[in-house]
Amino acid sequence: MQIIETETTYKSAILNGKGHFGPYGGCYVPEVLMPALEEMAQAFEEIQHDPIFLKEFQDTLNEISGRPTAFTPLPRISKRLGGAMLYMKNEGLNHTGAHKINHCIGQALLAKRLGKQRIIAETGAGQHGYATAAVCARLGLDCTVYMGRKDYERQRPNVYWMELLGSKVVPVDDGSQTLNDAVIAAFKDWVANPESFYLLGSAVGPHPFPAMNTFFQKIVGEEIREQCLNMAGKLPDYCIACVGGGSNAMGIFYNFLDEASVSLIGVEAGGKGTKPGEHASKLKRGVEGIFEGYHSYFLQDGTGNIAATHSVSAGLDYCGVSPILAWLSDEGRIQFENASDEEALNAVQSIAREEGFIIALESAHGFAHAFKLAPTLSKEQVIVINASGRGEKDLFITMRHFQEESLLTYAKHLLNT
Amino acid sequence: MSTPIMSHLVLGYPSLSESILTAEAYIAAGCAILELQIPFSHPTADGPVITQACREAVEKNNISVDDCLGALADIRTRFPEQEIIVMSYLNRVFTYGLPNFCQQLRKLDIRHLIVPDLPVDSPQAVTIQNNGITLVPVLAANVSTERLKKLLDRDFDFYYLMSDFKITGSTFSLHPRLEAVIQQIRATQPAARIGIGFGISTKEHVQLVTSTVDYAIIGSTFIKAKMDGNLGQVMGALTAA
Ligand SMILES: Cc1ncc(COP(=O)(O)O)c(C=O)c1O
Repeated sequence: MQIIETETTYKSAILNGKGHFGPYGGCYVPEVLMPALEEMAQAFEEIQHDPIFLKEFQDTLNEISGRPTAFTPLPRISKRLGGAMLYMKNEGLNHTGAHKINHCIGQALLAKRLGKQRIIAETGAGQHGYATAAVCARLGLDCTVYMGRKDYERQRPNVYWMELLGSKVVPVDDGSQTLNDAVIAAFKDWVANPESFYLLGSAVGPHPFPAMNTFFQKIVGEEIREQCLNMAGKLPDYCIACVGGGSNAMGIFYNFLDEASVSLIGVEAGGKGTKPGEHASKLKRGVEGIFEGYHSYFLQDGTGNIAATHSVSAGLDYCGVSPILAWLSDEGRIQFENASDEEALNAVQSIAREEGFIIALESAHGFAHAFKLAPTLSKEQVIVINASGRGEKDLFITMRHFQEESLLTYAKHLLNT
Repeated sequence: MSTPIMSHLVLGYPSLSESILTAEAYIAAGCAILELQIPFSHPTADGPVITQACREAVEKNNISVDDCLGALADIRTRFPEQEIIVMSYLNRVFTYGLPNFCQQLRKLDIRHLIVPDLPVDSPQAVTIQNNGITLVPVLAANVSTERLKKLLDRDFDFYYLMSDFKITGSTFSLHPRLEAVIQQIRATQPAARIGIGFGISTKEHVQLVTSTVDYAIIGSTFIKAKMDGNLGQVMGALTAA
């Protein structure tokens, strides 16, 4: 298998672009936050070439999160679909259950390096908050997590874990009470406490967050390169990831960006329809805007207001998308698709029954698209899907869908005992 | 007689016509400057009062940027001398088209624009300045001496200082380092005007602030009073000599 190097070096452009990705990215925040972001950007520049920091980062990933995570063939489902061979990168095996801990460890070590004592974070599905809470507990950092009220209710198990880990979880009653509102609440806390460290949960936000979280997540693609060569004897033909803000997608894609032979597909939440408020497909249906610190595509109402979003998966239920993905979409380097709530739920069930894994609803969007793509390809072709998280956190959502009666019986049992 | 107050409101709250009436009441009370905010669905640096006003203007009244420009034209026609500063979050005016928006403001003889989430040296800020509108930097006590020096080399002539690290509508306090920021501005640009805002809610706050800078900026307190139906009373108390 010949590796084709293209002319463009997207990889270096992303890490060396000072937060500009084509026309996107930037650092659009109130002046009061500039000192904190400049300090963070400066530290990010330094650590990229600091062997001591990089070793500590890698050691911590290995020690507390069990990296490298498994690379798992999906033979039964591949056989049934009758086309390409499917593999999954099981980021759900990470400590706290998702890829989020990769950038949490990186950012928390950076916060420690800057002498910060207090961490602020937002969370949607609760996975980023849970990972942040765990890392803060280990490093002895004070941690406050903002979570939209709707997510607080629908991802209750993660709220409990965060609190058990000693974090303060603040439900946000503003707006649509989802991830977007949590991000805003976290920014407001930061404006009032600019000495705190905002540990942001995706490849979005003002510089340096998009590049920095990509840097901390790129380990995923690095491991896949080696594991895939060993197991499949070649590089992937396709890499697929779900896209909320874009951190797990950048994690799997980054390593392969400059190799044209590897097709990259991001899958957004198709939700329950194509009307505004029914989905969270920014790259397919959003428009250019500047919001929450960065220039990218956003779901808007046509007059510059931010629109409501919907997804069965809290982690994808967000109005914006990484400025890096916006640029790579315009460039045609990454293709974007979407999968509906229903397709994602079905994918959870297929992977459970046929391969023995309970995957997160977010990740299931990537699988759902892979199931459509695989039959159109030949047996020699390899698709790698990022299983960004495991599905235990979705217990009450998937159970309500698949076994509503048993859920209600269990709820009654809890009430009566 | 004008009072050294820059009074703020959200256009379209509780309705477009009522916000125009409130602006007239501010003028009648002698407020030196009107700060008129274009409502946005997600005001990222505002507290609960202004957020609620924005939400009602956007969700209930569907206020567009053109509606706001219409209201501004209406006020301008009747009060040709009144100084008006417009405030907007970036996305609304960015999607409207910055050059076009700036031209419309200039036609209304409005010279200043506050965009809280736009660093005043970013590319869009340059577009705004190139279209004849002067941005008002919103600074806090943590602006570094070097950063402020850089800003003072540019063409700004009005500085908005945050009283402390907080969002709008919080309890009032004055950060001790603001004094140094004010001195640095005065030393380099003696003619520049300075206002302090965020949390100002009593006559004592107004007096304290205007003893060192040109204007006390009041938003949430007036909007809350409007919500509670006692704007006249609150305004009387804050603007009385
Ligand atoms: C398991 C999982 N996958 C994906 C996402 C989406 O985020 P991103 O697009 O940044 O990977 C989340 C977010 O909460 C998540 O928990």
